[in-house]
Parts: sequence; C-alpha cells; structure tokens
Amino acid sequence: MNDSTISAANSEAGFPPKPSSSLEQERSFIIAPDEQILVTGAAGFIGSRVVASLFERGFHNLVCFGRPSGGLAHLKEIANAHPGAQMQLITGNLLSRRDCEAASKGAKLIIHLAAGTGEKSFPDAFMNSVVTTRNLLDASLQSGQLRRFVLVSSFSVYTNCGKPQGRLLEESCPVEEHGDLRGEAYCFAKYKQEQLLTEYSRNFGIPYVVVRPGSVYGPKRQAIVGRVGIDSFGLFLHMGGANPIPLTYVDNCADAIVLAGLVRGVDGEIFNIVDDDLPSSRQFLRCYKKNVRGFKSIYVPHAVSYALCYLWEKYSQWSEGQLPPAFNRRRWHAYWKQTSYSNGKLKTRLGWRPRVPTAEGLQRFFESCRQGAKSA
Amino acid sequence: MLKVAIVGCGKIADAHASQIQRIRDCEIVAVCDREPLMAKQLCDRFPIKQHFTDLEELLRKAQPHVVHITTPPEGHFELARVCLEHGANVYIEKPFTVYANQAQKLIDLAENKGLRLTAGHNYQFSPVARRMRELVKSGYLGGSVVHIESHYGYNLADPSYARALLGDKQHWVRRLPGKLLQNIISHGIARIAEFLTTDAPHVIAYGFVSPVLKSIGENDIIDELRVIISEEERTTAYFTFSSQMKPSIHEFRVYGSQNGLVLDDHHDILLKLRGNKYKSFADKFVPPAQFAKQHVGNLLTNLRLFLGNDFHMDSGMKYLMESFYSSIQEGAPVPIPYREILLTTRIMEEVFEQLETNRSQAQLSYQVPQLRCE
Repeated sequence: MNDSTISAANSEAGFPPKPSSSLEQERSFIIAPDEQILVTGAAGFIGSRVVASLFERGFHNLVCFGRPSGGLAHLKEIANAHPGAQMQLITGNLLSRRDCEAASKGAKLIIHLAAGTGEKSFPDAFMNSVVTTRNLLDASLQSGQLRRFVLVSSFSVYTNCGKPQGRLLEESCPVEEHGDLRGEAYCFAKYKQEQLLTEYSRNFGIPYVVVRPGSVYGPKRQAIVGRVGIDSFGLFLHMGGANPIPLTYVDNCADAIVLAGLVRGVDGEIFNIVDDDLPSSRQFLRCYKKNVRGFKSIYVPHAVSYALCYLWEKYSQWSEGQLPPAFNRRRWHAYWKQTSYSNGKLKTRLGWRPRVPTAEGLQRFFESCRQGAKSA
Repeated sequence: MLKVAIVGCGKIADAHASQIQRIRDCEIVAVCDREPLMAKQLCDRFPIKQHFTDLEELLRKAQPHVVHITTPPEGHFELARVCLEHGANVYIEKPFTVYANQAQKLIDLAENKGLRLTAGHNYQFSPVARRMRELVKSGYLGGSVVHIESHYGYNLADPSYARALLGDKQHWVRRLPGKLLQNIISHGIARIAEFLTTDAPHVIAYGFVSPVLKSIGENDIIDELRVIISEEERTTAYFTFSSQMKPSIHEFRVYGSQNGLVLDDHHDILLKLRGNKYKSFADKFVPPAQFAKQHVGNLLTNLRLFLGNDFHMDSGMKYLMESFYSSIQEGAPVPIPYREILLTTRIMEEVFEQLETNRSQAQLSYQVPQLRCE
C-alpha cells in the first residue's frame, strides 16, 4: 500500500460549474466539510467526478483509494483546481484487510465505487465486488466512526419482470436474484454486494444508502451501451428501438452519489440515477451516426429479439453450455424490454437536479467519440 | 456415484464444476476455499451442498473419492499431500507443482497409497489433439520423432488475467519462481514432454522482458521465452512463449523421418505435412490442393463436432476428467503418464533456474562498471 497527501494550489481550469445547492440543504448534511470521506475507485470514470463534486461542495478532507495501476495522478489535477482541498491518495487492494483498515481509518463517510466487472468470470466479479466490500465494511466497523456507507450499485440488478408499476422501473422493483442464470457476472456480483451490505446493516447497524445508476456516459467512455444494441460480425444489431435509454451523464451521476452520501434522513434507502429527457434507443443511434460515424445497423423488432434470446437460452441449456448463455430471456427483460424510468425519488429526497442537460451531455459525448476515433 | 470435491473456488474452479456436471455418475459433494464467501458463491451457482474453509474438515465430512485442486500453484503440493494422506485421488490444475521434487514426492505417495493423480494438461485432450495422437500412434510420422516445435502466444491485454497481474504488485503469480511463465507454459511444455523418451533432456533457455512491459515499468515479468530441448542428439524441440508475436498462436508441430503434423489449437485444425515430393510443377499445384482439402476436412470435422454437441470450449478438460475417473473406477491407466508429468516439471524447473542465473549474471555485469566508476 502507498499513500501521498496533496494540498491544493489555486486553479480553476477545466472543471464543470458548481452544482446548485441551497444553504438549507447544506445544513442538512450528515457530516461537516472538514470531516473525512473515503472514496474507493476514486480514479475511475465516475470516481474522479465524485471527488470533484465533493470538492465543489466544500468537502475538502478526502481519502482517495485506487489500485496501483489505476492512474490516480489525474486526481491531483482535480485537487489542485480546488483551493483548500486536502486529498490523501492511497494505492492498494481492497482484497487486503490491512489496506482497507488504513483507508477507512477516521472516515465518517465511505463512498464505495470500486467493483470488479469480472468480464465473463463470476468468481473475479464476485471477489472484486463482494469480498472487497466485506473487507471494507469490517474495517469501518473496527474504525467505529462511520456515519454512512454509500454503495454504488447498478441498474443491472433489476429483473425488470413482475414489476408492480407495469413498465415503470423504480426503486421498489424486484431485483435479479439469479444473475448466474442471466449469464451476467456483474449482475450476480452486484446483487450479492447489495445483499451483503443489508446483512451488515441488519447485524451491525451500519447506516447505508444504495445508489443504482443507469447507463453512465460521458467523455472518455466511448462505447455504445448494450441497451441500444450489439455490435457483432461487422453489423450492429439495433435492439432498443423505441425504448428510452436510462442514461445519466457522469457529472450528474456523481452529484447524485455525493448527495446520497451527504443528505440527512435517507439511511437504508435506494436511489435510481437517471437523467431527464431520456432519448429513445433509435434517437440515440441516429444522433450517434450523424455526429460520430456512420455504420450499418439493422433493427431487430422486440418480438424477434425475444424469440432469438429464447432460442439461444434453450440451445445453451440443451447443449450443456456449448454456447454460453450470453443471450436469454432474463437478459432480454433487463435490457431490451420497453421500460420507462423515474428519477422522482432522487429529486424529492435528495434535492438532486441534473447539472448537465441530456442534449448537452450527448453533444459532449459525441465530441469525445469523434476525438477518440481520430486518435485511434 | 463418484464423489468429487473442489479446493480453490476461483476462476478455473468454474470450468471444473461446469465440466464435472456434464459427466455421468459423479457429483460435486463439497467445495473448499480459505475465503468463505468464495466457497459459498460457487455453491450458490452450482448444485453443491457443502462448503468448507478447512480442507481436512472437508475430507473428513464429505469423504470425496476425488479432489480437484484449483488453487494458486504455491498450495498444490501441500493440499495434494493432505488429500492423498486422507485417501482421495487428486486432479491438480497446472502447473502440477512449483518444484520437480514435490511432483516426485506426490507421485511416490500416490503409488504407495494405491491412489491416482493427474495434472490439468487438458489441451492435450481436445478433439484435435486426440486426432493428432491417434495419427502418431498409427505410425504416420514414419519412425521416431525427429523434431518438435511448440508455440504458445499470450495476450497481455487479456482483461481476465494479465491485466490483473500487471496491475497488482502483490499478485500471487509474482511469488512463483518462474512468475508468469510458471503459471502458463505447462501446456506447451507438456506437449513436448509427451514425445520425449529420456528423463533428463538437455535444456537451453533464453528469456527477456519485452520492450512493451519495460515501457510500463514492469521489469520482473519475463514475457518472451525461447527454449531448445534435446535428448541424446536424437530428438530436438523448440519452445516459444511470446506476448508480442502476432498472430498470438497456440501451435504444435511434430516431425518424423517421413511426415509431419501441425496442430493449431486456436482453430482446432490438424494438418498433415507429407514428406514426399511431386515431380516438376506438380509439386507447386498438388500440395496446395491437398492442403485445401485438409482445411475443408477440418471445417467439416469441427461442424460435425459442434452439431453433435461435442465441441465445448473445455471439452479437453471433460475428456481428461472422464479418463481420470475411469482410471480410478475401472483401473485403467492414468490419462497422463507420471513420467510425462515429472518431465514437464523438470524441464520447467530447469528453464526457470537458467533464467534466474542469466538474470543474476546480467545484474552483476551491469553493476561492475558502476563499482569501477565509484
């Protein structure tokens, strides 16, 4: 494990405007600006924006934890842009209990973003999401100073089946308890991670909030999200059609995560994070082709995509996994079934407002994709 | 019903559990991992009733006939020894053991106890590898093996393994004497060992850290290796491990005194290299046509296997497990002769010793001028 401390110099360059937050709201935060906050996964796509958002709100005592290979250096630029910011950079591995203890010592708030995607490996995803979270929770119990643990989960935990509100996906909707049957390591790990946190809360009284971002987009993340479609064999299969895509611009998402950590009176709550004015899959794809690059795509109607997922699932079962269950009905429900989304709870309980409108967020995203394509 | 247990619930344990499930008359009765959460997650996804954090407790309570050891290699020897002492047969993932003397001790113990051992050299049992073995047995090479070439390409951008290793200075692979090579090259070396006849071939190894790894400050992980193996000036072999060579091939070539064979593991292709020549321009036209015919034959074979539901990515592992289980239940020979397992570990140990010696000498020669300057 390695750590270094940085004090900020005066600089203002290159960061988004400060989010609007009233004095009344700031008074209702659970910690004071000088109290210590630990951010895991701080160097990541969302993590670095969370760090910036905390500094912008005046919280200047941050511990940023990342992997040695995580490129924590750019966090120094963020700290330097905020006068008075104090940032301790710690590199290590959350699989090490000692690293977890060092990182969480003195932390009043933990914002836990670090997770394993695991690609196709369930054990990898599980180990880097669940075992690491357990270590961090144990360390925070030992520290005994924690006021809230914010777990950054994902929309992928929802089954999108048997919802009480029809097409509307909200926080009370059922979650996927069998991510393994969906063939999705990330979903499996995220569900288990949430389950572990609620167990710790029940058994040890750890106060927590879970946030579930939709598809987080923004500069530097250039891929088209899977809810729009799949690029395979040189042809893009457009699966989303008229479905709204639950996008959240990375700065808006970071603000929501920060508010979930700070606002009083929301312990034990779950918040979905999606922006306003969501584009449909078709609109997104059209804009992407117009603004970034043209490519061949074919629309797969919902009935057809459902039938294909069904056939793939059955073949996978019959063949004992000769083709892995990459496509199946559970996945279809989660990603391609027509669904609407709400950020009502986020707005009413946390006072969140998206600082970057979707139209502007998409323009920034497309510009980043264009630059990426040029440099590739 | 054969009772099977798995020790070590990481990534490769998933492959084992999936393949064991496909084998008739056997059942995974328990799993074990030092980390209880990891043991439990495997039980959550597979029909396994018991999970343990202590191997001896598992052996006492579940009483498995076979234990699959899928932990990092450092633990293989001790875990396998405990299993054998408790009367269980053992399937050990590659590399079999870290040191050759450990392999010898395990084999001796298994033989004394009347138990069976095997190593996870599953690539040697893929459908295409089995076809190659049959051809060699049928005498296609025309006499003894003259030369062997084994190429093992490795993708450092692989997110599931290499990126994790490079990003973690405490990764267990770094603690192995041969580091990355020790965890990977067994497959390629075991292929060669299968065709060697003596127990102590001459080995010359040369390895280095690629410029790509050096550029990211990684100076400890050797990712380029060339090995020459020879026995009594009769059979020779080249082994190549490369992270930089593209395409990143997994290829095995074996040449006899009359014909040769090429096995392409990535594409499941087996090609016959005929030693005879055709007259004049016929030699320019007939062999390409014959190669084309062979490629079509490989395509049709692969299609037939796929349609017959016998072309799983880990079908070699299933075949190896089935062969091992039948050696336990029916007394058939073990699928991988112990001589081959021992030879593989000996060659690997020799390679790593030479690399370490070369590295020490290089450091010494680098330090000498510095001392003179002082």
